[in-house]
This record gives sequence, structure tokens and C-alpha cells, in this order.
Amino acid sequence: MDSAALATRLLHAIPNRNSSSPFLSTRCRPSRRRLSLSVRCIQIPNPTPGSLLPCSAVAAREAPAADRPRLRLHRLVDEFRSLPQPIDRVKRLLAYGSALRPFPEAARVSSNRVEGCTAQVWVTAALDDLGRMRFAADSDSEITKGFCSCLISVLDGALPEEVLEVRPEDFGDLDVAGMPARAKSRVNTWHNVLISTQKRTEALIAEGEGRPSSRV
Amino acid sequence: MMASLCHCPASPPHHSLSKLLSPLSRPRLHPLLSNVLPIFNPSPNRIRAGDQFRRLSSSSRSVALPPEELDSPSLGDLTRPDFPILHQEVNGFNLVYLDNAATSQKPTAVLKVLNKYYESYNSNVHRAIHSLSAEATDAYEQARNKVAAFINASKHKEIVFTRNATEAINLVAYSWGLSNLRSGDEILLTIAEHHSAIVPWQLVAQKTGASLKFVGLTKEEVPDIEQLKELLSVKTKIVVIHHVSNMLGSVLPIEDIVGWAHSVGAKVLVDACQSVPHMVVDVQKLDPDFLVASSHKMCGPTGMGFLYGKSELLSAMPPFLGGGEMIADVFQDYSTFAEPPSRFEAGTPAIGEAIGLGAAIDYLTGIGMQRIHDYEKELANYLYHSLLSIPNVHIYGPAPSETVHRAALCSFNVENIHPTDIATILDKQHGVAIRSGHHCAQPLHRSLGISASARASLYYYNTKKEIDVFIRALKDTIDFFTSFQ
Repeated sequence: MDSAALATRLLHAIPNRNSSSPFLSTRCRPSRRRLSLSVRCIQIPNPTPGSLLPCSAVAAREAPAADRPRLRLHRLVDEFRSLPQPIDRVKRLLAYGSALRPFPEAARVSSNRVEGCTAQVWVTAALDDLGRMRFAADSDSEITKGFCSCLISVLDGALPEEVLEVRPEDFGDLDVAGMPARAKSRVNTWHNVLISTQKRTEALIAEGEGRPSSRV
Repeated sequence: MMASLCHCPASPPHHSLSKLLSPLSRPRLHPLLSNVLPIFNPSPNRIRAGDQFRRLSSSSRSVALPPEELDSPSLGDLTRPDFPILHQEVNGFNLVYLDNAATSQKPTAVLKVLNKYYESYNSNVHRAIHSLSAEATDAYEQARNKVAAFINASKHKEIVFTRNATEAINLVAYSWGLSNLRSGDEILLTIAEHHSAIVPWQLVAQKTGASLKFVGLTKEEVPDIEQLKELLSVKTKIVVIHHVSNMLGSVLPIEDIVGWAHSVGAKVLVDACQSVPHMVVDVQKLDPDFLVASSHKMCGPTGMGFLYGKSELLSAMPPFLGGGEMIADVFQDYSTFAEPPSRFEAGTPAIGEAIGLGAAIDYLTGIGMQRIHDYEKELANYLYHSLLSIPNVHIYGPAPSETVHRAALCSFNVENIHPTDIATILDKQHGVAIRSGHHCAQPLHRSLGISASARASLYYYNTKKEIDVFIRALKDTIDFFTSFQ
């Protein structure tokens, strides 16, 4: 079974149909995936390798307020909160992970590693032609992929300054699969991946301004 | 009688310990403890096991077991009541704690001693003449005596209290290593060492020009002793080696290794973090130059570990950290230093934690380390064979046999499922706590061709029933992920 079919199966298995994911149903999907989800994406030429395909909803710098990271995060919190059973939250997380765009093998290099997670995690970041951040991520752990996918669903397409505005504490209300995001543990994927995306965003800003940057 | 066996100042230990004492598990009286532990006065009457358990069960809980069950309680069954933390639900399930190689749980006896210290005689040690300080100093030094007796050190001054085993290794690396290593010297380790036994020596090697040599694994996935012998040479200045592997569960013949190392003039530092809590460790028999262990892995508090060092070596070593209490005299431009162990205990030490470690040693000694070891061997075999019965599970380390003893832990992977995913579902859906990751042994994982593994590690308060729960939960977890593949 390919990951798209898996995602579909998982979504169909979700017990509370009213709680289906706003992200999984509206965010961009690679065209080769045959998800039975409504997709409204357009492709721009020369997408940055490893980045997610941009969506029309975020194609302009003046994005609707609903697409701002904090609002997306609120929706994500609500989405997982609507699933009372931990196992259903795990399934939703796995669905997110399955919906993550395939990560280029060439990008699985140490410079893209997120340190501190119990699983291997890779993250890439790029600025698109519209000045918005494009993130891609992968992990050898399915659950960790789910975490990454959720984070990317919040951060991808945001302006760099919006990415930097997000604080680890903002994820405090997010309880995914009984794994609260607030714990500042060195094995907390939420925290480590968020910090990693922000460091990469800072580095890109610095590069754009011709300043030296220390990419982490 | 039994209560007086575990002496702690102003704090009688947890009395339920007495239920575990048997003629087979009486603590050996160490010369250093002659002023600490009263002489054990066993009943001259032979006690049948059933009688023993009847007496045990009535000591604190007055539970009357039916005759047919009198022989059945395992050491795990008997000791679990002493660990409050084990009797809770996690994520809606009875907790099954199988992460003991990372840290152990603490019995009530230790918790009470800690509480008593802070409630009754908390004070700084070796400084003041007032009564509280004298009492704290006495308890602190008695804890040192207990550690010395526990590993059969001949002198209490051979025990240095540290924050943990990592700090103890750093102490040796920076003090002994910087003073004794030169360019061209070799530090011999195995690929299975914990990061805490590798990194300090890398740092010291960079400063001194010495180099690190690593012993690899055999096809049975144990450190290759033959290769170790071949790598030993006059260039070898120190062998840094674990006693029991925290990932492979294998046990190394330390006594032999020490002999081989000494024959070429090399010192030996033994990382005993996974052996001291689980078996009899006798430094006079094993004869290492240094040995380190950690309190929190042996039912004691965190923030406390110890270094054993032969007194002539410690006496010749310069201080590691400078500060109060490690000096003889301080002048404006120089200082003279105290004798070991004070020389290596700069500043106010972890007093309560040291006393708590002493209480943990009392508790373990009361049970008997040989008894703990025998029970854990039984658990180890049961865990290994139970895990092996699950399809697509690969267990790392040697297969147990008549001659190969494994520690009561198994690191493993399940085909196509990441260990972190397994650990997550075990915890969230079953209340089973195991570890996933590299277990601070990345070089070992790399040599095995993996980046991570899952690890279930047991202690004497675990039971076969808990292993059964874990195995059922693991099967369920595998089914869960397999259904989505």
C-alpha cells in the first residue's frame, strides 16, 4: 500500500467525521498522490528541491489571516482536541505523516539533520519566489514524520517573520497522541523541529541580507 | 533485629526490608562497616522457605498467603510493595516500568532517609562544629563507608563522591589522563562503551596527543576479547571498559582483562554502571585501578555517583575541580590540596543524595546482591526467549546459554517499525515504559548498522508477569503498525 492510500485509509478510519483534518483536506498534495481529498494547489515553475509545493491560498504575500501560522496552529490544536481517544490521535498523526511529501534522498545529509530527536529527522528550508518559507521534512519514524507534517502544515507558506514569531510555548495546548508539546525535553520532536525551522529561516534571512549566518 | 541492620543516623530504615532477609542473603559484614552495622546474629534455627515468606509477608502487611502459594512469590513480588511509584496507572494502564538501565526506582526506605535528612539534620558537612553539621558529616561519611563495603574496597578513602558516573570518568580523564598521557600513548576502549566513557577520553586525547583504539564486536555481537588482547601493547596506558553493556546485555571478564592490561603496564577503568546495581562487584577481586558507578541506577538518588580508585593512584593525582573543602591551605598565589577523597570533592557535595545512596545500599544489601543477580538471570532468560518468540524481532547481543550470561535487558528492533514508534505506542496504549534511541551508544549502533533500537531493561522488582504484559503489548503494537503497511 502506498502512503497516499494509507493516508486515505486512515482518514476513512477516523471515528469522528466532523473532526476531519482541515489541513489534510485543504493543504497541498503532490499531484501523484491519489488522495480522496480536495486539493487546491497550483504549481509554480522551478520549485525549490525538497520544498512543499505552494498552494494558491498562500501564493500571494498578502495571505488571508486564516493561513497565518498561529491560526493554523489553533486549528491544529482544535483538530487533535476533537479526538478524545489517544489511539485516534495517533492514527491522525500517522495520516499526517503519510501525507508528507517524499523527501529527496540527496537531502538526507547531516547538515539537514535535526539534532536531539530519538529518531532521525531531516529538515530543509527555502524561500520561494514570493518570499515565503517552504519547508520539507522526513524521519525514519512514522510518528515523528507525523509531528513534522503537522509542524509543516503550520509553518509552510508563512512569511519568514511569521515563522520566527512562533514560540515553542504556542504549542503548549497541543496534545497529540498523549504527547504534550510543551515538554522542553531534548527528545521533544515538536520543540527540536520548530527550533530547527526557525534557525534555518534566520539563516536564509541573513543570507538574503548578505550577512554571515551560522546554519544549524 | 533486622531494623537495626540498616543503620542510618536518626533515621531507622524502612522496616519492610527485613522481610527479604534470609539465611542466604545476609549481608557480608565488611570491616569498614564494623562501626556502622551491628554484627548480624542469625537465628540458629533453619528457616524453611515457606516459613520465611510467611514471616516476610506478615512483617508489614499482614497478608496471609495460602500454603500452596508460600513458595511462589518471586523477588519481584516481594519487593514491589516497597516502591510506591510502581503502583500507579499511566495513560490508563498499570505502569510496567522497563527502563531500569536508564534509571531505577527508589524504595520507600530511601525516600524516608532523604526526607529525614532534610527534616532533621540538613547541614553542611566537614565545616561546622554544631550538632547538625556533625550529624550530617557522620551520615555522609558513613555513606562513603557503605559504598566502600558494597564493592569491597579496602579503604573508605578510595571512594570519591561525584555527581554521577560521567563526572567520575571525567575526573579520571582530566586528572590522571592529563598527567599521565603523552603523544603516542593509546587508550583502549570497546566499541560498546557508553558515550560518557568515550567522549572524556577523546577530549583528553586531543590535549595530550594520545590516541583511542577500539575493540570491535564478534559475530555473536559481544566485544571481541581476542582483539582486545591483540591491541594491548606497551603503548596502552589505560583500558576503559564496561563491565555489563547497557545495550548488548553482555558481561565482560573484567578480572581477566585487568590481568592482561596490567601485564603491559596499563591501568584499567571499569564502567560498572550496569553491574554494581545488579550483581556482586568486588574490586579487590577484579583489581581495576578505577571503577565508576551511578547512584540512581541502584535505587539511590540522582545527582550522585562514585569513583573507586586505588589509594596510591588517587594520592598521586592532581585535583580535577578547585574550590572549598579540597584544599589544605590557600594562599594568594597558590594552594595546597587535601588528601583524597576530599581533594576531589570541591565545594558542598550532594549530602542528602550521598546519604540516600547509603540507604539504597542498605536496602540492596538487605536483599543480597547474589539473590538479586540470580533472580535477574531468570528474568533475563525469560525476557530474551519471550522476545525471540515474536516474528521479525531482532535482539542484539549474545544468545544466553549455560555459559553465556546476559543482563536482564534486551535491545531489539522490529522489522520495518522504528523503535521510537514502538516505544510511543507501548507507553500511550499500554503503560509500558521502555527506551528507544541510541542509548548513548552511537558507535555501537553504527557498528551494528542501525541508528536506533528499542530497549527493555529490568530490575529485581520486575516480574515475569510484567514481561508477559510487555510481550502482549509489543505484539499488539506490531499488529497496529503492520495493519497500516
